[in-house]
Amino acid sequence: MIMAESAEPADLEPAAAPVAEMDLVRRAQRGDLEAYDELIQRYQQRIYATVYHMTSNHEDANDLAQDSFIKAFQALKSFKGGSSFYTWLYRIAVNKTINFLKQRKNRIHMSLNDLDFNTENNPDLVALISEKTPRRDAGLKELQEKLNAALLKLSEPHRLVVVLHDVQGHSHEEIAEIMDCNIGTVRSRLFYARQQLQSLLTDYLKPT
Amino acid sequence: MNEDNFDTLRRLLELKRHEVPPPGYFNRFSSQVLVRIRAGEAGEARAAERVLATSWWSNFFQLFELKPAFAGAFASALCLLLVFGIVYADRPESGPQPFLPGTDPTVTSFAAMTPAAMPSATYDAGVMASNNPAASLQPVASLFGSENPLAQPVSFSPSGN
Repeated sequence: MIMAESAEPADLEPAAAPVAEMDLVRRAQRGDLEAYDELIQRYQQRIYATVYHMTSNHEDANDLAQDSFIKAFQALKSFKGGSSFYTWLYRIAVNKTINFLKQRKNRIHMSLNDLDFNTENNPDLVALISEKTPRRDAGLKELQEKLNAALLKLSEPHRLVVVLHDVQGHSHEEIAEIMDCNIGTVRSRLFYARQQLQSLLTDYLKPT
Repeated sequence: MNEDNFDTLRRLLELKRHEVPPPGYFNRFSSQVLVRIRAGEAGEARAAERVLATSWWSNFFQLFELKPAFAGAFASALCLLLVFGIVYADRPESGPQPFLPGTDPTVTSFAAMTPAAMPSATYDAGVMASNNPAASLQPVASLFGSENPLAQPVSFSPSGN
């Protein structure tokens, strides 16, 4: 299965029918679980992807994503519509994940998801590994592990900025809203995080 | 901050987009969330029913558990009540009232009175204005002017011992 939405960074903000979304939210606020089911299906992939990229563990990501949707439902009555439901939901998921990571601190266990079949067709990735190993599959797997290990070495705020921007394609403004900080902070964190990653992944980064 | 410096890194990070959960994962995800939400709601409803079903007595003690200050206040009130009761019992506000006007208030029963000690006016009138049932057993002056035979003095001489 392909995480289609997380693979399309330019199409992250739910542009389709914002009125319909608010309608779903209002119905869900009145306890309509069918409406909430619709909201879950609309955002489950993006929420899961963000949490997964932060934790590098499928089981943790599953628990945290489910907990985030449950908490959002319980807190739905307090949602006044000051921001989009999507941003509000994202904030819940991000805060939950950061709290979880603070507690987990010394228990880093990666259970990485498999790569989809499109990976081998990505010319950039193929170029990145082609000189490393003759066997492409092994190279991709190794690269995936190294990349996740490097990400886990970043602090949570820095990792979150990289995940939201470089992996999921959010804009600086969206990230600032989600993280409740200003755009300058987002930019500086992103720069610092990239520098860190670059030094951690020197062997895999060669100038193109 | 030149974005081009990180171009290779950004392309490497795109590898993350290809990581996918197990097949069919998202088909089950929302139903699992809804099951947990329903289970939570059912759990809350059961808890509410349990609270309503319990007696007022257990609710009262549950209140103590929830608010220890209330338990303290309740215990203090009980202690005050107990102390007040003890103090009140030790210091009676009114002693025994004289049964009849002019009699010794320490004598509380006609049975303990000698006829001589009885107030003559009352005795003569033969009217006992009292609600005390014990009084009705006491000698009453005759309504026809004759003396009460029970009030006759007796002479008693102990046998020789």
